[in-house]
Amino acid sequence: MMELEKGKKLIKKIKEKIRPDYDFEVILSEERFELTRFAESYIHQNVAESNLNLTLKAILGNRIGAVQMNSMDDAIISKNLQKAVNIANITPPLDFPYRLVPPQNYTIKGKYSEDTINFSSLDRARLIRQIIRGMNQVGYDAAGAFSSEQITLIVANSQGLFAFDKGTKLDFNCVITRGNSTAHVSFIDWDVNNFKVNKIIDELLETALRNREQVEIEPGVYTAILSPEATSNILNYTGEVAFNGKSIMEGKSFVCANRNKKIFPEILTVADNPLDELTMPIPFDSVGYPREKVYLIEKGRVKDGVYDHITALRYNHRCTGNTLAGEDASYGALPFNLVMEGGEVDLEEMISRTKKGIFISRLHYVNVLNPMSIQLTGMTRDGTFLVENGKIGKAIKNMRFNTSIIDMFKAVDLISKERQVKAGWVGPTVAPYLRTNNFTFSSKTSF
Amino acid sequence: MKASLKNVLDWLETKVSYADIRFVQQEEERIVAENGILSSYKLSTDRGVGIRVLANGAWGFASTYDLEQEVLLETAAKALKIAQASALCKKEEIRLAPTDKQVDKYITPIIKDPFRVNPIEKIDLLIKSTQAMLKDKVKRSEGILNFFKTNKLFLSTEGSEIEQTIFESGGGISAYAIEEGDFQRRSYPSSFDGDYATRGYEFVEEMNLLDNAERISEEANQLLVAPYAPEGVVDIVLGGSQLALQVHESCGHPVELDRVLGKEISFAGGSFLTVDKLNNFVYGSLKVNIVADATIAGGLGTFAYDDEGVPASKTYLVKQGKFVGYLTSREDAFQLGICSNGSARAQSWNNIPLVRMTNINLLPGDFEWEELLGDIKKGLYLDYNKSWSIDDKRLNFQFGTEMAREIKDGKLGKIYKNAFYQGITPEFWKSCDGIGNKKFWRVWGINNCGKGQPEQLMHVGHGTSPARFRKVKVGACR
Repeated sequence: MMELEKGKKLIKKIKEKIRPDYDFEVILSEERFELTRFAESYIHQNVAESNLNLTLKAILGNRIGAVQMNSMDDAIISKNLQKAVNIANITPPLDFPYRLVPPQNYTIKGKYSEDTINFSSLDRARLIRQIIRGMNQVGYDAAGAFSSEQITLIVANSQGLFAFDKGTKLDFNCVITRGNSTAHVSFIDWDVNNFKVNKIIDELLETALRNREQVEIEPGVYTAILSPEATSNILNYTGEVAFNGKSIMEGKSFVCANRNKKIFPEILTVADNPLDELTMPIPFDSVGYPREKVYLIEKGRVKDGVYDHITALRYNHRCTGNTLAGEDASYGALPFNLVMEGGEVDLEEMISRTKKGIFISRLHYVNVLNPMSIQLTGMTRDGTFLVENGKIGKAIKNMRFNTSIIDMFKAVDLISKERQVKAGWVGPTVAPYLRTNNFTFSSKTSF
Repeated sequence: MKASLKNVLDWLETKVSYADIRFVQQEEERIVAENGILSSYKLSTDRGVGIRVLANGAWGFASTYDLEQEVLLETAAKALKIAQASALCKKEEIRLAPTDKQVDKYITPIIKDPFRVNPIEKIDLLIKSTQAMLKDKVKRSEGILNFFKTNKLFLSTEGSEIEQTIFESGGGISAYAIEEGDFQRRSYPSSFDGDYATRGYEFVEEMNLLDNAERISEEANQLLVAPYAPEGVVDIVLGGSQLALQVHESCGHPVELDRVLGKEISFAGGSFLTVDKLNNFVYGSLKVNIVADATIAGGLGTFAYDDEGVPASKTYLVKQGKFVGYLTSREDAFQLGICSNGSARAQSWNNIPLVRMTNINLLPGDFEWEELLGDIKKGLYLDYNKSWSIDDKRLNFQFGTEMAREIKDGKLGKIYKNAFYQGITPEFWKSCDGIGNKKFWRVWGINNCGKGQPEQLMHVGHGTSPARFRKVKVGACR
């Protein structure tokens, strides 16, 4: 894997190769990724990948040419650099002055574990075998994926900016099934030592044994308790359609009409927060801006979105360190480390204070119906339950929801202290359980 | 390169029951413009080698970007080690359906190599098209052109040696009419980055992007002031672009045999088309005929061989409404005692082949446009996808569309905004009582079909002509 000194040498080499009247930006990521998938209680896919991605941008005033390659070969880099220069020469200029990011100081570091790096396909197979056997003993089949990843990232430019970071990630998910009885667990961490296989087995069985003989309920507006998994899913869609600074600047987000208005309950705070203790921070963005805590909703008040470098330059806004790698500038920005702050109750109290509602373990195939009202649609799966008189009751068949997240957030009245780390669209998302009194189910399915 | 790959296979030969090795090199050109300004122009090259082995009755796969012979041998050794780990959790020995040894070369027939077209011509087209859309409330416009050239070399221990060069071209434009509290998008020729085909630059020229820019801008402006679509149960006609995604989600995915066998259950889900339903289940009305056809000229899912070296084929999935076939890999086909129909595809060198769609085509019917609308007293015409969602067995679906038009007494009427329709897959297809004839039939290319872990994006095609469905639940998102 690329180490700091080797990275510096690469940047020096690029500087020597490019004509001095051109500026340049470099993004280099190197990755070792391994993944094991299992289903019907056997391993059906087991892969390893070693890859790197080198993006070079040649910049001539307001003209930018970009090339991407997965090679460190000298001749290939030279050839591609020339291509980038050629593109910069022929492209029409941007409609605003382009500026490189000056050198920065970085205080946040990615989380990194040698034990995760050494976690082998054999180690994964042994843990999977333990889960499969545990489930088979009680008549369930297990399916899922277990991956480990090591990544090194370098961002640099011709003005002397140089950012280097490395991190590790472990990602596990599993569904167990016996007929229509199913359950799901997911786990994300940087350190394999935090993976507790017995806890995973217990959680799966607890949900699955409840999720049987599902009854049908009618569509309508319900009080809903969302698990951290479901909350995280909602947060990521909301982050994309509502808090992308580019959409806000173009008048395509609810934030435009609600900035600095307190339209949500005091208990609701959502931020892009690399400093949260539970998250796995990404220390800088793809042009080298240091990451920072950005409030999206603070104590119920709508704040602002996250901004990438290009949008910030075009609209004369401050960049929040959310420039994406590998995306077109036309996309804008996404939150990297979405975090919903915890509340004051625990899950048991949330349930005991619910006279009638629905507990949602997991959402499936969520999509955006109306970006302005953040109306989302999707299905429930792997454990949806009635909550009656303060207790989790019967399992219910899966339902489709069509619900406005603005209306849903307005009706949030309880948030759990406990928060969990779940998959996010860039970095992971930290999400609690939450209760809302406005969640709309629009139709049913047969299982 | 071939000699290096052969050396690796020779080394593996005695250690495995089967192995294949794929070298893939992909060149990509991506040009994006917004509001008459070029926002990015990127050229990418990606290459590497993936080695798949079947040893101890279990799979192992390892891949590398480093093409040095020594690294390739290390990667092969890693694949072997991974297969040994897989063997810790196996139910039975994995076996593959037979396929013939293939030694062949294939290149996508094209007229104009997109990588040889002057970049200024492409940039100019996008700048002019995105400028032309900026009318009235259309404050934002986008245009994209995207080209791929993929060279693949496949070798297997069964003696196959296949070289393929696949060209793909496409793009599209979108107009956004924006006012406080609302915005409406209209896209051409299709939403979400446009339309794609295994063709050359001539495909882009035939799109006439510039000629359609003003029209979709006008439609976006009309949508902004249009009433919300009505709610209720009505007859609908789906346009070809939306129907392509309907076929994709409600037929293409549920007939993937790996999904049916439970391999995707934890992530993308399963399928209602379980093996007991094969040749024994009414999927749709007698008018519904759906095929998987990787052999048609220009389809985005067209090739000569899949990534297991199985020849491209045409397979009926639904014949006169009856469910009759799956998309298969060699491993999954073996489970059913059949041969693979060549649907195992990998996104690139660093991914294993999964069961993927090729061109999943709803065959044309015999209706003229006027006949489709003719006996609808009150209904909706819906086209150009805006939103999609379907449950984890592919039954309960909901699609939103950019465009909705009233159908009244057999004629198209006013425009509605924010329309969606819902249904249950087999009930919906059983309600299909009219499909447009060959004149209206064309293949749409979708370049972002996601599946698997790690997620692989696949390029697939869908042939459709507009079709009519009875008594469908519709509504509007507000």
